[in-house]
Amino acid sequence: MKGGLVLLLLALAACRPAAPFRLAVEHEGRVSRFRLVGAPGARINAQLKPALELADGTVLRFDSPHLTSDTAYFADAPTAMAALRQDVHEGIVRASVCPKGEKICRSVALAVQF
Amino acid sequence: MRFHWSLAAAAALLTGAGAATNAALRRPGAPRSAPPGGDRTAPELTNPSWLNVDHPLRLAELRGRVVLLNFWVFTCYNCTNTVPSLVELDRRYRADGLSLIGIHTPEFPPYSGEHDKSNVARALAKQSITYPNAQDNDRRTWDAYGIRFWPSFVLIDKQGTIRFTGYGEFHPDDADFHVWDQRIRELLAE
Repeated sequence: MKGGLVLLLLALAACRPAAPFRLAVEHEGRVSRFRLVGAPGARINAQLKPALELADGTVLRFDSPHLTSDTAYFADAPTAMAALRQDVHEGIVRASVCPKGEKICRSVALAVQF
Repeated sequence: MRFHWSLAAAAALLTGAGAATNAALRRPGAPRSAPPGGDRTAPELTNPSWLNVDHPLRLAELRGRVVLLNFWVFTCYNCTNTVPSLVELDRRYRADGLSLIGIHTPEFPPYSGEHDKSNVARALAKQSITYPNAQDNDRRTWDAYGIRFWPSFVLIDKQGTIRFTGYGEFHPDDADFHVWDQRIRELLAE
């Protein structure tokens, strides 16, 4: 019975859509550098720069000089840097994701802690 | 210096991401018949701010015409890539009774500039769009039609009934363009 429940939970977890990107953070002194790393096949829209909306109301925008040849998508992980307040450790990452081959864009908002 | 991956919190909000796994998404572009049953009456347009028209358009005043709604935003490459097809459909069928209407729905909050009417106007001019466009800044029309992707399309018949829906980029003279073209001609002939 208990094993069945575990299997059911695992199956449900497997059905959840994977996040199309993840946020990497480096801290150097007071300055934090954020990198938005797309999952394989998840193209991040460069015409609508991704944003990190911090809990204190600050909005950071991600960017990179390296774009695809049509300038529509980031060719490498876009970054954002800021000197954050010590008590700010969470926010929302917002990105427009246009999966390769799907011919559409989706707006994805991901709550993050760092 | 220390380095670590952030924790994606449990409250991840994947707008529309759940649909990425459904079968329909594997075949974007082509219009599909509206599902049978239920109320297929096209929800009225209530957006107050419009471009390329001198008053806020309402579907009620377009009865007797076929209406193609295009949900788009100027920051979406798939959307702007589809505009030439829509301009062509407008050119072919406006005089015969097609009303093409853009529903400009921002992806991001206002800091992105997508809500700014002058930015939308610039995008319309850049792409030679002369058909009416509503600013759907509060997503009221997006939500009323249950839209999840940019770009999306809803084809409404002369009686105001949703007949076909679809999503995804298409191009002049590709297979999906021809299907949309055929559907429009069918509804114009009714």
